[in-house]
Formats: sequence, structure tokens, C-alpha cells
Amino acid sequence: MDSKAPTASTARPWRDASAKPFVRIRNVTKKFGEFTAVFNLSLDIYKGELFCLLGGSGCGKTTLLRMLAGFENATSGVIEIDGQDMARVPPYARPVNMMFQSYALFPHMSVEANVAYGLKRAGKSKDEIEARVAELLKLVKLEQFRTRKPDQLSGGQRQRVALARSLAPGPKLLLLDEPLGALDKKLREETQFELVKIQETLGVTFIVVTHDQEEAMSLATRIGVMHEGEIVQIGEPREVYEYPASRYVADFIGSVNMFEGVVVEDEVDHVRIRSRDAGCDIYVGHGVNCAPEQTLWCAIRPEKIRLQREKPEGDANFARGTVEEIVYLGDMSVFQVHLESGRRIRVTKANAARFEEDAISWDEAVYATWGPEAAAVLTT
Amino acid sequence: MSTSATETRDGGMRGALNALRHRLGLSGRGIVVAIPTLWLGLFFLIPFAVVCKIALSSAAIAQPPYLPMLKAMADGTVQITLNFGNFLFLGQDDLYLKSYISSIEIAVVSTILCLLIGYPMAYAIARAPERRRNVLLMLVILPFWTSFLLRVYAWIGILKGNGIINNALMGLGIIHEPLVMLQTNFAVYVGIVYGYLPFMILPLYANLAKLDENLLEASADLGARPLTTFLTVTLPLSLPGIIAGSMLVLIPAVGEFVIPSLLGGPGTLMIGRVLWDEFFSNRDWPMASSVAIAMLVFVVVPILILRSVEAGLVERGK
Amino acid sequence: MKRNLFLRVTTLLGFIFLYAPIVSLVVFSFNESKLVTVWGGFSTKWYGELLGNEQILEAAWLSLRIAFLSASIASVLGTLAAIALVRFGRFRARTWLTGMVTAPLVMPDVIIGLSLLLLFVAMEQLIGWPAGRGFLTIVIAHSTLCMAYTTVVVQSRLSDFDRSLEEAAMDLGATPVRVFFDITLPIILPALISAWLLAFTLSLDDLVIASFVSGPGASTLPMVIFSKIRLGVSPDVNALATIIISIVALGVLVATLQMMRRPRRQA
Repeated sequence: MDSKAPTASTARPWRDASAKPFVRIRNVTKKFGEFTAVFNLSLDIYKGELFCLLGGSGCGKTTLLRMLAGFENATSGVIEIDGQDMARVPPYARPVNMMFQSYALFPHMSVEANVAYGLKRAGKSKDEIEARVAELLKLVKLEQFRTRKPDQLSGGQRQRVALARSLAPGPKLLLLDEPLGALDKKLREETQFELVKIQETLGVTFIVVTHDQEEAMSLATRIGVMHEGEIVQIGEPREVYEYPASRYVADFIGSVNMFEGVVVEDEVDHVRIRSRDAGCDIYVGHGVNCAPEQTLWCAIRPEKIRLQREKPEGDANFARGTVEEIVYLGDMSVFQVHLESGRRIRVTKANAARFEEDAISWDEAVYATWGPEAAAVLTT
Repeated sequence: MSTSATETRDGGMRGALNALRHRLGLSGRGIVVAIPTLWLGLFFLIPFAVVCKIALSSAAIAQPPYLPMLKAMADGTVQITLNFGNFLFLGQDDLYLKSYISSIEIAVVSTILCLLIGYPMAYAIARAPERRRNVLLMLVILPFWTSFLLRVYAWIGILKGNGIINNALMGLGIIHEPLVMLQTNFAVYVGIVYGYLPFMILPLYANLAKLDENLLEASADLGARPLTTFLTVTLPLSLPGIIAGSMLVLIPAVGEFVIPSLLGGPGTLMIGRVLWDEFFSNRDWPMASSVAIAMLVFVVVPILILRSVEAGLVERGK
Repeated sequence: MKRNLFLRVTTLLGFIFLYAPIVSLVVFSFNESKLVTVWGGFSTKWYGELLGNEQILEAAWLSLRIAFLSASIASVLGTLAAIALVRFGRFRARTWLTGMVTAPLVMPDVIIGLSLLLLFVAMEQLIGWPAGRGFLTIVIAHSTLCMAYTTVVVQSRLSDFDRSLEEAAMDLGATPVRVFFDITLPIILPALISAWLLAFTLSLDDLVIASFVSGPGASTLPMVIFSKIRLGVSPDVNALATIIISIVALGVLVATLQMMRRPRRQA
């Protein structure tokens, strides 16, 4: 029987009320002159997590990362790593290492020397350094490049050197700034798997900053979505995707059809929202408990909507429209449907069969329909 | 083990140094700033104070050749003698005003000549194919690294009575009497243009090399003939380079000593030479000092103003 | 086509203008005749005379030592100043430092020379140092002058420098001092070398400032050359010029070949 040590993704310490967080960020604000980059941000990150800070440019995620690394000081608030207040601790004294977006490999040193640098600074013996460097180069599969200089390596190879270098000193916390940004698509996918594997093997806590939500979804144990210096939602990828906390999050992650509507019925077990946007009533299988006739939004993901020719039963959760555009992507097809209400919605369908007789085609009149659990009801 | 012994020894010394540093209230940054600042303060700033002081004293046959400013008297008082005579003399005697104006004249003319020669060269280098460009630039810079003094000296041999030019012209029968070229203002122009040409070419080149070929093509495409394109597109865009190059020539040229001294005549008045003569020939240190102060006020300060204007133009052009 | 011809002709003439005097120096160093510019046959005797001229050789040796020391001091001071100006943001003495560092660039040599001499004289009267002028005072003067140039060169390189490399080093445990010696210095080394060479050349070539601050027995090479050529042309000066030009040409050639071989720019 193989007993695998529990990783953070299986153990889920954030659901355990008694678990002690590894990184505590408490009410941290960072101002640059008049400009506030991070505002009153609080966040707990647990040991062994692969936490992703996700957001568009200018949202403050890189600033937060740099504060964790020690390159910026918080204007106010506390940052604790492993129980230790990092207030006046300089970067070279923190148990933290960072992998830079540009990799920042020392151009005048070989791959070996780059990876060994942190160990040398820590005062390790020559034998220890050699062994550790060999171990890491093996981990990132770059043994035969050990004597090369950075300008003799490809982008992907440089990225692995940067990773090896930052892991060599055995940090408790590794910060990664857009680690996969410079790689092409195929390499990115391969590297994503490797990155997660390395993280799980070593058990190091990773905090990754990225603007690519696909990257965040594939890497993270938890995602923290940031917007204008604040965290707008924290959760596991599934939570953030299926249960977004706001329209911003719903829109930022994946694509979504957003319908505005007014509450006409709000009971314990259901809520009915009249939407002019959709041209129908939206029936959701849970109560919302809000003011009567409140304006709400329903976020429905493209893959939750089904297209059919026959009118569905019932009096809600379907809208009539015309198929305007079909984009065939191989594994799935994307339909753009022009609803009678005037809205255009996006519907995706997995191509489960190689050939479908009588498939829905351009300019057909269809009904777009979805189930009572499909819509996420949003109040902001 | 020996390693740990060295470590403690090192640590001990470093620790002691650190303790001393903290006692003196010095930070690492503080030291980095302090060293060059103190050096310059002592060897650059304070000398000017000394120059002012000497300018206010009188010449004397003594070692050093000026009267002291402060004198302790027998009755316990201290007598301060400030001699403004030197400055008055500056204003009265024609020589200084003429030299000042003449220096500026000569510098401006030389700069313009330098520009006229340097611009086409810089343009040609900027348009040359990549590989040849580096060679050409190297050829332009090479004279700079040889001795300035010797390059000026070369012109003595070329311009003098039985120098190269005269010998050639006489030999060819074009002239029968040697032309007087040395010890004239003309020779000074040649000398300055020659000596400072690399300084004119390099900034011009840097600017012209960045010029987008597409702009010239667009201009031609819109119907402009080459000369018009040059006047309306290239020239205005190269203005920052022109200004930079001109400043690099004009400013040192005003205070030049070597060129007017070797190539100029007794009638070539340049302020740098005047100062030198006051000091070395007349041994009049106070007078030389007042000339220096006058130079500072009327030459250096305007230059500083010009430079900040230049910087402003460059910023706005960006 | 017409355009091209004009450019090519002017450029050719321009280069002829630049190099004709240098060529004439070289050619006439081999002139048998003492009248430098009247050709009297080929001879290398002036080189012999030059190498036997004690005064010139001593002056050359003095100038080389002064230049070496001044360039080194100026490079260190310039690097410190550049670090302060590029990295330290706003600090108390900043405007002073900026002003003092750039001022020598616009100051005529005669003023710098005069003011330093007067300082040395005053200091000698007050505290007895420097006792007499010569090697030391010239080195101080040249270091001060060249510092302006070295600061500009290093400053320009530092402001272009990729800070993330230094951050990476700090992140891996290097203190700021270590970062400088491990990372910054090796990478800006080419700029430092050019700064040093620039300072060396300026010091070697300086006439005016050395004349002011020098003392008896300390005549630099430019000073000796100047007193000679004031009296007129002299063939051994041509020989000296040719030697200097050859050394410089060789150096520039080597440097350019080196630069052309290195394809990429680093941080």
C-alpha cells in the first residue's frame, strides 16, 4: 500500500479552525506617495499551500509579493512568517526566497554558480554546496548544463535555473512572480505540472503571483483574487470559479454570461429573478434573503447552458435566440447566440462524439436553457 | 577547527569595526556619500573661497606674492585689509573686457565651423552600413585618445612660415610669399575645430543614428524632395544632438589656453590666456584671482544657465 | 545619388582633415633635417635622441605614475559618488554633491588650476601640509578633475543597471556590501575600465592644471613638451608624438576588436 504524505491540497488546513497559518498578513497597507497600492489587506496562508495571487495589472499583487520578500516595507500593518514579525527584517535575513519574473540570473556566473549562490551566502561547506547543487539540477533536469552561462540557455532552461537557485537554500516560503509568463503555451503547460509536482514533493509553501487565471486555476491550492489593492475573494479554484463573490470575480475568471434582474419571489428554497436582459425568469434553487424587488445579477457559465431546438418545459430558465456564430476548437465548440432580448450569450459544448448527426448549425433558432443550480446569484 | 577560529577572528574584527561605526553614528550609506563629498568639498569648493580671499589682497614681492588679509597688530586688534583695487582695475582696463568678448566670439565662430564640418560627417556615419559604422566611429574617436597638446603642435608645423602648406604652395608656384597663418585668429579657429571635432561628431551621431528611416521615406512619399526632407524633417529632429555637440565644443573653447597660446598671436585675446599671463608672467596672484572670479561670474554662471536650458529643451523634446 | 556623393566627399575630406596633422607628425619624425617641415632625407636619429633625453624620459615616467594613481583614485571616488547619486534617492548633501561633481566639466582648466594652487599654498601656511608642491599635489588635482568624468561614466552605467539582479542576490542572503562586490561590480566592470582609461588619458594629457600646482623638480611630460614647442617645432617632439600615437592606435585597435567580438550586452 502506498501511503502518501498528505499535501496541503488534500489536507486543506484552511478549513481547520485550529490550524496555525504559516504566513499572516494583517491589515497591511502600502502607499507610494499619494497612490495606495495595497489597502488594508489581511490574508492567512498555510504551510504547504500553493497559493496564487490573481489579478490584473496594477491590482497590487506584485507589491504584496515584494513586501513578503522584504523589498518594500508596509506603510502600516503586520506581516508574520512562521510566527516571526518581518517588520525590520531585510531580504537577506528572511527565510524567504523569490523567483523573479525576469529570472534575474547572474550573467557573469555559470548555472552552477548561480544555483550555489544562496548556499555560499549561508556559509555552507564546499561539499554540502556541491551535493545540494547537484540535487537541485537533477530536480529541474539541467545537469548537463551546469557549466553554461545564462546567455547560452533557452527561456525555459533559464526559468528552471531560476527555480533551482531559489529552492537551493531550502526556504520555508518561495515567492514566484509570474513564473510562467515568458514561456510559450506548450512549455507552459508542461511546466505547470512540474511546478506542482516539485512543490508537493518538497513541501515548500509557494505563493505565486499571476494575471493568468488559467495558470492560477491549474496551479493553486487556493486563489486570492485581487482588485485595486484589496482581496476580493479567497478560495479553492472550484469555489472561485463556481461560487464567485462578485461580478468582478465572475468576469475575471473564465467567461461568464451576466444577467441583471429584479427579485420577484424570494423564498427559503428558491428565488425567482425577472430578467429583461435574458428575456425570461431565472429560477434558482436556493433562497437569497434580500430586499424585495432588489436588483441582482445572475452569472451563468457557458458550459452550464444547453442549446436545444424544442421549447423546454417550465416557465423559467430558458431563452429564445438565434445561433450567430460557431467556433470549432477541437475539444469543444463555442456558440454565440443572439437572444430575443437583444443580448448575446456564449455557450460552450464539449464535442463528445467525433461526428454528430443533425448538429445545431448557424442561423438556427434555438432555446438556450440551464438548470436551477446553474446560476450564481451575485449581489455586488 | 581552523575554519571556526578564522571565523571568530574575522567576526571579531568585523564586530569591532561595526561597533566603532555605530559609536561614530556612521551608516554604510553615510560613508559612501561622505568620502566623495568631503574630498570635493576640500579640493573643489574651498579653493574658490581661497581665490576670493586672494582676489581681495594686494600683490607683493614675497613668498607667496601677496599681502596677508589679516594682521595682528601690536595693540591687540586685528587689521583686515580688503583690496578691491583689482576688481576696479578689471572694470577699467580695456584688456579684460576685450578678452572676454573676444573669447566668446572666437568660441562661437569655432563652434559654428565645427558644426558645419561635423554634421555631414556624423550624418554620413549614421547612414553607413552597420559594419562600417563601428570602424568609422573608431577612427573618429582615435585622435581623442592621443595627446591634445601634440595634435595642436602638429598644426604649428603645418601653418608656419616654412610649414607644410606654405612649402607646398610655394613649391607649386601658386604663391611667392609665404602666407601668414600662424599666430592669427584663423589658426585658433583651425585649432579649436580640429581639437574638438570628435566632441561635435559623437553626440550628433548618437542623435542621427536614432532617426527613424521611415520618417524620411514618409516625407519622400508625401512629395518632398531630398533637400526639403532634410530641412523639414532631419534637421529639426537632430536639434538635441546639435545643441549637445555645440555645448561640448563651446564651453571648453571659451576658457581655452593651449590653443591660443600656441597658435594665436599677441593680438589673440582669450581670457584663459590672460589669466595665465597674469599669474605666470606678471606674478600678480591677486590680479589673476580677480580675473578668475570675473570668469566665474561672467562665463561659468551663464554656461550653467545655458546647460540647464539645454537640459530643459532635451526633456521637452522627449 | 547626388546626395550620396556630397556626403561621401565631405566625410572623406573630414577624415583627411582629422588625420593629416597626425600623419604629418609621423612622417616628419623620420626627417633627417632639423628643420622639421623641410624634408632632408629619411632618418631615425631623432628617436635615438629622444630615448637619450633624460629630461623627457623622467617627465614621461612621472606623468605615467601620476596618471595611474590619479585615474585609480578618481575611479574609486567616482564610483562612490555614482552609487550615491543613482541609488540613494534624496539625501542631505545631494544637491551639493551633484553640483560639485559636474562643475569641473564646465570649469576652465585655468580656474581649477589656480584655485587648487592657492589652496595648497594656504594650507601649507596654516598646517604645514602639503609641504612643497609636486607629485602629491598634482595627483590630488588630477583626481579631483577626473572624478567628474568617472562619475558621469559610472553613473550612466549604473542607472541602466538591472536592479532585479541585486534584489535576487539580496534575496539569496547577500548583504548590500556583498551584493556590490559579487554582482554589481563585476557587471559594470567594462564601464569602470573605460572610466579609468578616460581619467588616465586626461591626467596624462593635462598641461594647465599641472603647471599651476606643480613645484620645482616635478615637471610632467606635457609641461616639458609645452616649454619646448613654445620655442618652435622640434623633431624629437615629432618622434615622441609618433610613439604615443602608435601606442594609442594599437590600444584602440585591440579594444575595438574585443568589442566587436562580444555580441551581447549583459545586465
